[in-house]
Amino acid sequence: MKTEGCLKVVLTGDVDAGKSTLIGRFLYESGSLSEGSMEEIARVCQSLNSEFEFAYLLDSFEEERKGQLTIDTTQTFCKAKKGKQFIFIDVPGHRELLKNMLCGSSYADIAILVIDAEKSIEAQTKRHLFILKFLGVDQIIVALNKMDAVSFKETVFKAIIEEINAFSAIAGIKPGYFIPLSAKKGENILKRSKRMPWYKGLPLAGILDSSYKRRTIHDFRFPIQDIYDLNGNKIAVGKIISGRIREGQTVNIMPLNKTARVKKISVFNEKKSHAAARESIGLTLDDMSGLCRGQIICKPNLPEGKQEILTRILCVQPLNTKENMIFKCATQEVSVRLKQIIGAWDMAALEPKSIGISAGRDDVIEAVLITDTPVVAENYKGSNGLGRFVLKGNSEIRAVGLIL
Amino acid sequence: MDNDSYLKELENKSIYIIREAYWEYKDNLAILWSMGKDSTTLVHLVRKAFLGKVIIPVVHIDTTFKFKEIYEFRDKYAKEWGLELIIAKNISALKENMSAEKGRFDCCNTLKTEALKQEIERRGFKALLLAIRRDEHAIRAKERYFSQRDKKFRWDYQNQPLELWSEYYKTVADTGAHIRVHPLLHWREIDIWRYIKRERLPVVNLYFAKKNKRYRSIGCECCCQPIESKANTIDKIIKEIENTVIPERSGRVQDKEKEYMMQKLRSLGYM
Repeated sequence: MKTEGCLKVVLTGDVDAGKSTLIGRFLYESGSLSEGSMEEIARVCQSLNSEFEFAYLLDSFEEERKGQLTIDTTQTFCKAKKGKQFIFIDVPGHRELLKNMLCGSSYADIAILVIDAEKSIEAQTKRHLFILKFLGVDQIIVALNKMDAVSFKETVFKAIIEEINAFSAIAGIKPGYFIPLSAKKGENILKRSKRMPWYKGLPLAGILDSSYKRRTIHDFRFPIQDIYDLNGNKIAVGKIISGRIREGQTVNIMPLNKTARVKKISVFNEKKSHAAARESIGLTLDDMSGLCRGQIICKPNLPEGKQEILTRILCVQPLNTKENMIFKCATQEVSVRLKQIIGAWDMAALEPKSIGISAGRDDVIEAVLITDTPVVAENYKGSNGLGRFVLKGNSEIRAVGLIL
Repeated sequence: MDNDSYLKELENKSIYIIREAYWEYKDNLAILWSMGKDSTTLVHLVRKAFLGKVIIPVVHIDTTFKFKEIYEFRDKYAKEWGLELIIAKNISALKENMSAEKGRFDCCNTLKTEALKQEIERRGFKALLLAIRRDEHAIRAKERYFSQRDKKFRWDYQNQPLELWSEYYKTVADTGAHIRVHPLLHWREIDIWRYIKRERLPVVNLYFAKKNKRYRSIGCECCCQPIESKANTIDKIIKEIENTVIPERSGRVQDKEKEYMMQKLRSLGYM
């Protein structure tokens, strides 16, 4: 058995669209469930006097089962017999639980946006679509679920495609696939459905199999996580967030604005002359003076550190221009304030809102930030770590931002 | 991607998290080590994170009911790896003869959770590294990498903080609370075994089949059941797990005495 790097698939969409049920069904059909789990769910359903519910495989909290909703995000492995390996990420659909949706979605390579065929496109569906785009998840599969409830009619499917396309065009999103299915009845999951012969595309499993990992960036970026002292030798440890590095190469250290040569790459019990993205390593430079957490070792060089930054921000909590917060980008952490809000939008309507000195929860704003000391960052390009940041208050993440 | 680079990816992610925890907590950070395969892997990863030495204390929560093989393993490797070993026992409960016979829920809660509570208070630990994994149990799958427990050890699972891109966490605990750090959350059972093979890590011999039985998950002798198995080498164990549909913790009775037992134990601070 080969482990194919595990693609991470998040299921998003409105409350009751059937996200957890779809994952549960997929796990069941692909033979990924462990012995006893179907029996356990059957027992729980019986005690709750409900029909058999695939969603309970994911919704493990008592409150989730009794309340028939997903409260928090979860991840589960899909052990498909052939093809790619997947990790399914389940997230809640409720608006109040957007924070948990963001959390789960940030890990994803691909998203399945699940829509209830019996309903029209709700605001929450649009919010989720917007968030996926914001987080840089650009492979989106739109799954029209509960087709059994609309007699597997093609017209329903077509109407939804049109509605989604209208919104996507404004939001600048392009879903890669549209698929009609029924999680409850198991139509178009692993095999093409006989109930919908008008659908000529691949079943869900086939679409997932043709998906790929997120694109990576090539510039070498190494935010210093800590400086360790090993028998008197200083080593800068951290994770390479993009690019690769070899011993002997010359690098820049920002915002120190100096250059140095890589003397040694350290990993326990291993000789290493080069390292690449996502590796946690230690670096010894020929000049280690002045190095500390938060600085970025890079090649090619980054723009000079600056204190005024133009950003787009998704507010997880309300924000205002008076409060001091922490700006965290990679391992850099500095005190920050919103200097000016220059635009505000409702995520679902994509319509401008009035601009003031504060922004509400779930608002998207464009704002100028002003930091206490210079920070090193670059424009957001879809997945580059130094193009995105979070704002923290009371050590909690209050907003997610992109650098414009 | 082959298995080896996949394992490296898991390892790199875990090391990043361990280093974040250490940056935040320094001397107030400890590892929980049960001598099981997962926490032994965690101890090894900590040693890798610090490039050769386990520089933080290692806590064993000792119910006194563990298999003797587990105690032997502990003493041997604590010495060999130069660990600063702390043994946490709930002495007063043990004096009152607490055991599984008095109810598994109470026993786990008193001899594990309470013992840990006492040790944390005594040593002033603010954060603990734990080797739980999402694929072990559906309740553990709901966890965050940095997960707070309040002063009474309660887990506010209905209001967990936002984490993003395996990079941004709520690493600081509220006053009186502590943080559970879960660097192995994204590992599966099969990954652990492949990694043990790759890194040539020792494991307690209870995991290997004797007379067609082996333990797949180990803990207290009274609450662990062996499974039918012929796997007496690591390679055979890997093969077995690749092909099994039986859940890993099927032999752990405390998980299933009643519905939501794990959720209830964990909401009170169980690991």
